[in-house]
Amino acid sequence: MKKICLIILFVASGVSILCAQTNINSNTNAAPKFPRTATRVDSDTADFDMTGHKAVYRGHVRVDDPQMKLTCVLLVADLPPEGGRVDHIVAETNVVIDSVDEKGQTNHATSDRAVYIYNVQNGVTSETVTLTGNAKVENAQGWLTGEPIVWDRANNSLHAQNQNMIFRQNLSGTAETNSAATNKLSAPK
Amino acid sequence: MAFGFYAVRAQQNGVRHASDFSSVEYFEPPHQQQMKSRLSGAEASPQAGGLLLIKKLKLEMFKEDGTLEYEVEAPDCIYDTLHSTASSPGPLQFQTGDGKFRVEGEGFLWRQADQFLTISNNVRTVIENAPESETKP
Repeated sequence: MKKICLIILFVASGVSILCAQTNINSNTNAAPKFPRTATRVDSDTADFDMTGHKAVYRGHVRVDDPQMKLTCVLLVADLPPEGGRVDHIVAETNVVIDSVDEKGQTNHATSDRAVYIYNVQNGVTSETVTLTGNAKVENAQGWLTGEPIVWDRANNSLHAQNQNMIFRQNLSGTAETNSAATNKLSAPK
Repeated sequence: MAFGFYAVRAQQNGVRHASDFSSVEYFEPPHQQQMKSRLSGAEASPQAGGLLLIKKLKLEMFKEDGTLEYEVEAPDCIYDTLHSTASSPGPLQFQTGDGKFRVEGEGFLWRQADQFLTISNNVRTVIENAPESETKP
């Protein structure tokens, strides 16, 4: 078998990992590389509470924006104020996120719950997606579990606590997609 | 019970059909001069049981400063004057006042009392994101 996989298991408690593996830019001054155009949300049904300013999407929820695609069973979003934007979204149950970074690498994340928060304070943008409940992020180089895993979208970085990270290195230089030893590591769809 | 007031009154006066009608609900004092919501339609036909068949429904909800907050449109619906609800198996469009949050779907129920809208099928939302104009340090 030409393809040899080396698996390195890191069990640690800390933060700021996977940046090198995901080619993620840790430059906090970097502007997002993706155009922030329209985001689309589709679902089977939805409730809109005009008084509470909340939208609740149920059933086959699909979110499609320029930077990521998300599916889940239930999604609750705050309705945006006049001239503002959606700043708080909670996705629950079978959450799956597929994202592409500025270098074209795909990351595949799964969790029970994902919370998106957008905030601007003193001119500084904070935009995070926090994954909890069986949270896992995979890419071509390996995968990461943690509780929680925080995706900093403003700075394109991943952070995790209580993480367990597995690197897979393919010495043949080609993608390994069906190794018995790394059965769960496959190219994100 | 504000919505449908004019149409109901027309029915009581023996008028069986109303055109280009609207019904307005106002805020409580001290904003009693400001519209809270306005329901309008091209046609309203009274039905049995306190129902109104409304064509080209337009429902607008305003903030206390008078700015449009939400807008709902549907080609037709049934308005229940007894329960203050509007419903239809047909299409509906809903959007925020600035048009940056737009929703389409099929089949809906609107409850006026708690301003709650349920869309039953094929919900499609488009959110126009604000440009990233903030400067990071």
